[in-house]
This record gives sequence, structure tokens and C-alpha cells, in this order.
Amino acid sequence: MNEHTFVIETSGVTKEYHENGAPVLALRGVDLQVKPGEFTAIVGPSGSGKTTLLNLISGLDTITSGKVWLAGNLLSEMTGRELSDFRRDQIGFIFQAHNLIPVLSVAENVEYIMLLQGVAKPERRARVDEMLKRLGMSGYSHRMPSQLSGGQQQRAAIARAMVSNPSLILADEPTANLDSATAIELIEMMRELNQSTGMTFIFSTHDQKIMDRARRLLVLVDGQIEKDEVRS
Amino acid sequence: MSIYTKLAWRNIFRNKRRSLIAGSAIGLGLAAMMFADALIKGMEASLLESATSSFMGEAQIHGEGFRESFEVDRTIADIDRVEALLAGDSLIAHSAPRVLALCMISSPANLSTITMVGVDPEREKFLTQVDDAIVDGSYLSPGNQANLVMGQGLADLLEVTPGERIVLTVAQAETGDLSQELFRVSGIFRLGIEELDRGMCFIHLDRAQSMLALEGRVHQIALKFTDSHFGGITESAFWNRYTTPGNEAAGWKALLPQLAAAFALISVQMAIMGFILFGIVGLGIANTLFMSLYDRLFEFGVLRAVGTRPFAMGQIIVLEAGSLAILGIIMGVLLGSVVIYILGTTGIDYAGVEFAGATIRDRLYPIARIEQFTVYPVFVFVITMIVGLYPGWYAARLVPAEAMRNAL
Repeated sequence: MNEHTFVIETSGVTKEYHENGAPVLALRGVDLQVKPGEFTAIVGPSGSGKTTLLNLISGLDTITSGKVWLAGNLLSEMTGRELSDFRRDQIGFIFQAHNLIPVLSVAENVEYIMLLQGVAKPERRARVDEMLKRLGMSGYSHRMPSQLSGGQQQRAAIARAMVSNPSLILADEPTANLDSATAIELIEMMRELNQSTGMTFIFSTHDQKIMDRARRLLVLVDGQIEKDEVRS
Repeated sequence: MSIYTKLAWRNIFRNKRRSLIAGSAIGLGLAAMMFADALIKGMEASLLESATSSFMGEAQIHGEGFRESFEVDRTIADIDRVEALLAGDSLIAHSAPRVLALCMISSPANLSTITMVGVDPEREKFLTQVDDAIVDGSYLSPGNQANLVMGQGLADLLEVTPGERIVLTVAQAETGDLSQELFRVSGIFRLGIEELDRGMCFIHLDRAQSMLALEGRVHQIALKFTDSHFGGITESAFWNRYTTPGNEAAGWKALLPQLAAAFALISVQMAIMGFILFGIVGLGIANTLFMSLYDRLFEFGVLRAVGTRPFAMGQIIVLEAGSLAILGIIMGVLLGSVVIYILGTTGIDYAGVEFAGATIRDRLYPIARIEQFTVYPVFVFVITMIVGLYPGWYAARLVPAEAMRNAL
């Protein structure tokens, strides 16, 4: 594998769960390569393995068999601490909901990763202000997550995911809890950020309007990539 | 304040009712420990005061072997030198020489074997409470050498009242010849201590020395220190100064080993009680922390996902335990202080209760001491933090995806 070619590369990734004692194969030998700067959507019906795939390529879950390289690093060789540091520095996460820590304000949530990285306070403040401004959240920095709408919470989550300039943004159905207009606005924003920063975006969705805006579409069915479509 | 401390402290106030209940459990446990300690210290002080001030004194000097054998011949060696030393000793507030002997006391109605104590009435007043405990008649007066005071129990047995005559019979030193003399009961005391009320009578020192053929010699000097705690200190040059050939000096711990042992036992019981109490409270805290953790599994998954290290996850939980402890300690110290203050002022009626050979003579007043406000809260804080280690370890081992999946 050439670590400069792919942000993500997987080889024969399989994941087996046990549900009520019975084994369930969530992923069946997935082979995938993602290049830097891609804007990729993973689509498929519920239970097709979208979230599982995102969890495995980010080291949030353990694989049953196969290999995952992230920015050239083989995840299975990393310790829990190394994985944590790697996620902190290289990956930004946006989840479907409950992204933000409820006891921290918007600014503190966005600042959190930089605190873990040991970034100096003046720089942290400047980058938080800049990111919130860019996402139209300047007036909400001192609000608590419970005081924000669903769309505002997702914007704050995007700000947190991007503020430390990671090489990869992973978003698990980021628009699932949003109304259609807000969802499109959010996905347009992510695409604009992808183009302006060059960050790699991978998100799972089964919203057709969002699929239409992806430049690469991976269709996952029963734990296998059924279709891999790159659009111009 | 670190981000983890901030998270932990704010999390405590997320579910106020749960935190209040958990904090109250810690607080009640702490207050109970503080009060139990105050009560025990009050009881120890009361028992010790009763044991030492009724008759024994805080320490004694004896002729060597007298304490064990009670032989009349074993008097204090070189008494003048010892008295002179005591007179110039800054540790000594008061001292009183005594002569003690087993004797037969008889009245027209009855007779009994008791301990006859020859005392200097004026010096003895500072060592015993017999003069204050006279319930009928009067204490020994310096002028009348034929006077005698006895306890209520003995007076009842002999069926005597003040003014009546009784006879004492003793065996003299060296020869063992019997000596018999007539006394008049001048007063009857009631200390509420069976051993004294039923088994002792007090006469003038000179008369006792004369009866026992011990002119100028004494068996015992009872001591009262300027600092009453000194009697309980066993390691001191003081004891060596007076434990010379022919003599031995001993504090209340040696004189009343059963009381010293009982106090040591109380300390062990206190430690066991604390262990059980905080074991129960600790399990409650662990349960609270786990409930809080399960409530926030997705959040913990997010924290792990964005790069929080496993150790830091555990740290957050342990800091939450510490925050709960601080909350509980504040409540406990306030509650404990109020209870100790109120009962320390009004007292608890334990008068007449006997324990390890000593009797509580007055109301029992819980005693506040600095350890209750320092050692116990620190102990509670450390215990709570230790209790937090288990849920903390659990949090550190969470697989982020599983945590988020299980939370949904």
C-alpha cells in the first residue's frame, strides 16, 4: 500500500456481531480505497453495514478479520492510546445526533479537541471564533447544546470536527434528524468545505437528495459493496 | 481547572436529585462518623475523669510491689526525697500521700472486710471527690483524728449514721500484730462507684500510720498533673524519675489496664464501624456512578471518538466521584458540626452507666476535636475516589462504537 495514495484502505474487512447469542455478519470482506479530498457517500438500506464500516475505518470498533490502514497506519497495530491520539489529530466526527457534550457550551465543545492536543489558549480561541463564524454560529458560542436547534447542533458538530484540521471527516447520517431544507444546506456546506480545504469527507446516508450531491457513491448491501460509482 | 475537572464538576449538577441523594449518603455517613467519634471521646473523657478524679488520681507512686501484693510493709522508699522532688516538679499540680491496708470494720450491727485509707484531708481534696460526695454528715476535719468517713453502701451494711462509733482492726507492719481502734463516723459519701461506696473508708493519715506502725511512711502518693493528658502518656522521662529502687510510678493506663484496653477496643470498633459504614456508602456511590455512566454511554462514546484517551475517561469518572465527595463532605461537616455542637452543649444522660470498671457520673458531653473535621473528611474523600476507580476503569475500557450502539 502506498500511504500517500489513500487516506483509507481496507482489505477483506469482516465484522461479526453476536445478537442474542446468534452471530450476525455485518460486513463481509470489504475492500475499499479512498483518496485524499474525496467527497464520498456510503448508501444502503438500514442494517446494510454503513455505520459499522465507518466505525471500523476510524478505529471506533474492532474488526473480526481483515486490515484497515488509515493514512498509512495499520489500525490493528495501534494501542488504545495511540488510536485515541490518532483520531484526535486525524479524524473529525459528525454523528446523527447527540454530538455535543451537554455540559459544555458551543465554544467549549468546539475547543475540546484542541485542549486535548495542547493548543495554546489564544490560538484555540482564535480558531474557535473563526470556525464558528465560518459556519454562521458566531452568536451562539456561549449557548449550551440544549439551547440550539437540531441544525445548529449539527453545525457546531461540524465546527468541532474541522477545527483541528483533520485529514478526514467521517459523518454518520449527519442529516437524518434534520428537515429537508436544513439537510441540503448542511450537505452544501460540507461540500463547500471539502472543496475549499481539501479535507476528505465520508458520510453515510440514505437521503436521495444528499446522495445526488456526492462525487463518489458506495452502495452497501448486506455488508458488501455492491456498487462503487464515481461521478464527474 | 482542567477540562476533565470541569466536565466532572458540571456533570454532578446534571442530575441534581441523584447527586443530592448520593451526596447526602456520603454526608450522613461522615456526620455519623464525626458524631460517633465525638461521643466516644466524650465517653472516654467522662470515664477517665470518673476513674481518676474519684479516688485513683491520674498517676501514682508506690512502694515497689505494693500494687500487686498490697503488703503493709511495702512503703515508698526515701519518702522525703520523693516529696521534695514532687514539690519542685512543674508537671505536678497536686499530690496526696496515702496509707492503705485491708482491715475489718465492725459496728454493733455488722462487720465487713474493706480497704482502710489514711489520707491528709487537705491534700486529698485536690485528688478525690470524696469531700464533694458527702451526702450525710461532714468530711474529715483536720482537728479530730478519730473521725472516719465511709461510703453509703458500707454505712447501709453496718447500719451506721454520722455520729455513731465503729471499730477498725488491722495487722501491723513488720510484726503482723493486730491493732484495733475506735472511730466515730463523721460523714457518709456516695460516689456512685460500688468499689468505693461499699469497700473503703477514709481516716486521717497520722492515725492510719500509727495503727499500722508505719510512722512517717506511706504506701502511695496519688498525683494530679498540670496537664491531665500526661497521665496517659507512657513514654516519658517522668516515670523513670520516680521509678527508683524501691519505688515505682505508673499512670492511669498501667493502673487501670482494663480501661486502657477498653479504650483501645473502642478505637478498633470505631474503625470497623467506619469500614462497614463507608463500605455501604461506597457501594451506593459506585452504583450512582455506574447509573450516571450508563445514562451517558453515547456521550462517553463521543468523547472517546473525538480523541479522549482511555485513562482520561477513567479520570473523568474518578473526578466525578471526587466532586460527589466534596458535595457530601460539605453536607456532612455541616450536619456533624450542628449535631456535635447541640449535644455537646446539652449533653446526653448516661449518668450511672458503668463501663470497664469505671462509671459515668455526669451527663455525657460529645467532644469536638480537629480530627473529626480533617482526618475523617479526607478519609471520606479518599474512599470515594477509590470507589470511583472501578466505574472509572470500566469507562476507560469502553469500546466507543459499542458504547454508542448500546446507548441507542
